[in-house]
Amino acid sequence: MNDTTIPAKPLPKMTPGAEHYWQSATREQFVLPHCKACAKVFFYPRVWCPQCLGQELDWVHASGRGVVYSFSVVHQAPFPAYRGDVPYVLAVIELAEGPRMMANVLHCDPATVRVGMPVEVTFEDRGEMKIPQFQPAPFLRRTSRPWPQ
Amino acid sequence: MTGAVAIAAVSEMKPARYPDKDGHALYIEVVRQLLAEWHLKPGDIQGLLACPAGMAGGGSADIFVHEQLYEELGIHPLYGDTMNAGGATYGYMVQRAAVAIRQGLADSVLCIGAGKFPKVSTGGAELMARMVSHEAFEFPYGTFIPAIYAQVATRHMYEFGTTAEQFAEVAVSSREWALRNPQAATYGTEPLTVAKVRASRPIATPFHLYDCSIPLEGGAAILVANESVAKRIARQPAWLLGMGEYHSHRNIHQAADLKDIGCGRAGRMAYERAGLGPGDMQFAQIYDAFSVNPLVFMEELGLCPRGKGGAFFASGAARPGGNFPVNTYGGLLSFGHTGDASGLSMIVEGARQVMGVAGDRQLPRADIGVVHSYGGMMSEHSTLILGRQS
Repeated sequence: MNDTTIPAKPLPKMTPGAEHYWQSATREQFVLPHCKACAKVFFYPRVWCPQCLGQELDWVHASGRGVVYSFSVVHQAPFPAYRGDVPYVLAVIELAEGPRMMANVLHCDPATVRVGMPVEVTFEDRGEMKIPQFQPAPFLRRTSRPWPQ
Repeated sequence: MTGAVAIAAVSEMKPARYPDKDGHALYIEVVRQLLAEWHLKPGDIQGLLACPAGMAGGGSADIFVHEQLYEELGIHPLYGDTMNAGGATYGYMVQRAAVAIRQGLADSVLCIGAGKFPKVSTGGAELMARMVSHEAFEFPYGTFIPAIYAQVATRHMYEFGTTAEQFAEVAVSSREWALRNPQAATYGTEPLTVAKVRASRPIATPFHLYDCSIPLEGGAAILVANESVAKRIARQPAWLLGMGEYHSHRNIHQAADLKDIGCGRAGRMAYERAGLGPGDMQFAQIYDAFSVNPLVFMEELGLCPRGKGGAFFASGAARPGGNFPVNTYGGLLSFGHTGDASGLSMIVEGARQVMGVAGDRQLPRADIGVVHSYGGMMSEHSTLILGRQS
């Protein structure tokens, strides 16, 4: 097959309670849900608090900082949309606010990614949306190889 | 709750690709083999638990499979259901069956599954990634099952200095066992070495191809029974001495601690209910979608010290002749992974070792062993303790 067209990457499915999260990301703002009753900041957004089951929720502007909790460098594209990306980093990021989330670590050589590495949020275009992603935090950027963009 | 319950009969197809059999035909073949091997009579099956085999159907599920099966068997069970918990399905079936039998709902319950692992290179990877990762907060990041499991491996390497070569040792050990098991998919092939594992195609760090289980098709059946039925059917039943269950998370990023992912919690419950401890175990059968699982779960189950899983497998202790055999049928890594039915294989082998019918790979010491399975992305856990004396 000489098919060189790479399909678009998947968009997140809209799930109850998460609309504001994605709308914010599309404006390049990284927000986390916060429970008014028990003050828990949690991930992922949903219509109740997973700590106290309260439904009075609002949003906090997150620092966008975190560290790599764990990761894997993917060498075999799981589906055609990722054919042009391998090797890429699939990681679990521990946010400064406490919760963990999944993301890719972008804008770096995958071989340089380490557990515990400080990262900061960045936003990746996905059609009409943007999704939160992470990249090495600035002070690391100065000590390592130059980054694209 | 009292009353002895045992696994009285087991049967399993050889994992392979069966292009002429759909999921239902696989189910029928499993039942046919069980009946032929154990000469069961209709009255021997009073309950029926089956799995909807969603992977085999390309994501759709046959939610009425147990109805079709009991009708074809011509029986009218007093207890029945179709249930799914991924790889933990069958551990939970044994646990549910035991509870039902102890409550007197049925004297025996047939636990059965058949499955087809989707072909990874032709859309299977995407299908399964969608099935096992959050559609909003994981899948858009390019999830891939090996890379999800690798999160546990990478974290273990970070916390304890475990090496990729030590994960490879798990695959080497499993192959040694598979070469003694004519029913294993890799029977008659060559032994693996750490170098061969590391030289195989990289999939997702730290895993190479031979760190991954072999996607195939098959199925198996387990008859759980009360004391009188078990003693009538089996010369040496595999008595269920303890059982534990724990549901941790669904999506891997929600796991509270990747080195305490729920396996140990199920294990501790099982030991406690059996009145036994890890030191009483003589072997372990541990669900192994990837080489990381037996290494980390040996630690979680208290069978080796925390952080020493790598050293344990590198020592050869898990291999034939070793002092603590693990996955004596070859594991999903070398026996083969039958998709929705994969959670049966380690229970079947645990029972066979205890029943003393494991052929050339029969362990000299198999009085008590532990069988651990899990479903999803190491999400929900089942531990069974099997023994020769009730």
